Amino acid sequence: MEILYAVIDVLLPFEWTEFNFMKNAFIAVLLITPLFGLVGTMIVNNRMSFFSDALGHSALTGIAIGVLMGVDNYMLSMLGFALLFAVAISAVIGSGVSSTDTIIGVFSSTGLALGVVLLSASGGFAKYSGYLIGDILTVQPEEIALLAVLLLAVLLVWGLFFNRFLVASVNADLAASKNIREGAVQKVFVILVAVLVTVSIKWVGVLIINSLLVLPAASARNVARGMRSYHAWSVCISMFSGVTGLILSYYLGTAAGGTIVLVAAVIFAVTFLLGFLSGRRRAS
Amino acid sequence: MRFRRAAALLLSLCLALPSGCAVTPRGEEPAFRVVTSFYPMYVMALNVTDGVPGVEVDNMAGQQTGCLHDYQLQTKDMKNLETADVFVVNGAGMESFLDKVVEQLPALTVVDTSVGITLLESGTGEEHVHEEGDDHDHGDLNPHIWVSISDCILQVENLCEGLAEADPANAALYEENTRAYVEKLEALRGEMHEAIDPLPNRNIVTFHEAFPYFAEEFDLHIVKVVNREPDSQPSARELAETIRLVEEAGVAAVFAEPQYPESAADIIAAESGAVVYTLDPVTTGPDDKNAYLDAMEQNMETLVQALS
Repeated sequence: MEILYAVIDVLLPFEWTEFNFMKNAFIAVLLITPLFGLVGTMIVNNRMSFFSDALGHSALTGIAIGVLMGVDNYMLSMLGFALLFAVAISAVIGSGVSSTDTIIGVFSSTGLALGVVLLSASGGFAKYSGYLIGDILTVQPEEIALLAVLLLAVLLVWGLFFNRFLVASVNADLAASKNIREGAVQKVFVILVAVLVTVSIKWVGVLIINSLLVLPAASARNVARGMRSYHAWSVCISMFSGVTGLILSYYLGTAAGGTIVLVAAVIFAVTFLLGFLSGRRRAS
Repeated sequence: MRFRRAAALLLSLCLALPSGCAVTPRGEEPAFRVVTSFYPMYVMALNVTDGVPGVEVDNMAGQQTGCLHDYQLQTKDMKNLETADVFVVNGAGMESFLDKVVEQLPALTVVDTSVGITLLESGTGEEHVHEEGDDHDHGDLNPHIWVSISDCILQVENLCEGLAEADPANAALYEENTRAYVEKLEALRGEMHEAIDPLPNRNIVTFHEAFPYFAEEFDLHIVKVVNREPDSQPSARELAETIRLVEEAGVAAVFAEPQYPESAADIIAAESGAVVYTLDPVTTGPDDKNAYLDAMEQNMETLVQALS
């Protein structure tokens, strides 16, 4: 870490990098945001933004289970519950009984309500409200290592499964003809999202985690031509909003997570206009 | 047919449920039920009612809830209050739900222990005397009065007066208990002054605005309160400003509270070289009437260690 700090000091000799907590937050943002950009592309493509939102809400129940079991680190209980939740959602969707958004809505509200009931049982829901907003500034060096491992793991899964994700998301019949089991591919993806959301929720927060997944990819879709540039744009926009939001939050004294999302939202508005104008030009 | 059977089943369930509840046996009702809003009040009430026959003291929020900021009243709390003879509150805006309770249960006797205590304004430190019948909004006044021992003594006396009025038969016992407890508190205050007054370093940084009354009593200077609201996270700028302030003012110790996570305190300490200590505002603790005395003694030792 010392080496990294020194590198940051040399490359970015600004006021906001003066303190180690800002350096930690900066490194964490550099690790988390590409992940969100990358995974977000597929979420937007597959129209799963509501699904990742539900996973975020389920984290509250995961925390509550951790509290009830008396563990200090809620990561495991959150992860366990989120995986269960994700697999259950995709199984119920697979049964085809009800429409996807209804099923996700049912799970999302159940997860949230269960979390609220369990956490306020001891009278103090306010104690856990930190998880609603998240706090990137408290990220610790060992947690940064965890994020680095996560980034590597996601890149690996992405490399192995990307084509299958893509085919399954574009055309189910085509996938079947190529002997790709859509259900299995979807489960891998769902688990990936669950892990990502759970690991980062402590720093990003239940309320805004989904914005970070959806906004960069949605902006990228406005301007990208083709799959490769779509991914590149999404990752770049995600990292740019992360870093800009963090720096802005330092100088403005605002909450880091919310500022990052606002920057991403502004970028979406700009790309929307760009896409709209270029679409008109092509049409005329 | 299936529908009809289901309907019959539902109906019989509906009928069975209330009758099932009604058979729960009710225990012997205590003659006089005192319900306190949260832990500091509970400890005071335990002392004032110690050994008085027929009195039961119950803590509404539970021992581990801590400060009542943003506390949401639950159904069981209202049930609890419905059977109470007296509801003891800290007042000064701590119980933000109090208006709702009074509206729902107009017959309930509320003892406001903050009456007559000089309140500090949140953030600015301006003074404001709280008088009876004073019903303007106290949202901006600091309610953590019990953390100062002198104010705690006043609160105990207010409590005693309130209980004696509501339960005149035992008034003499309440007064006797109060005298004994106030004596203990005064002895502790003297001991703490002796220990803390000569300390050379008087600048401290605290989290959550629980200590202004304490600092006033022992002439400590709170350089900065980080996180005025207990569950909000300080922004990056606030953290950076605090770190600079700690370095400039030569603050040796940063005081966190056992009730709240230390992450922000740890960051400030690690960056500025100060040490994190724990000061207890006694908002949570064991079911023990000496809990306040014990916690304050512990605070005294911490301060001596941190500031000498």
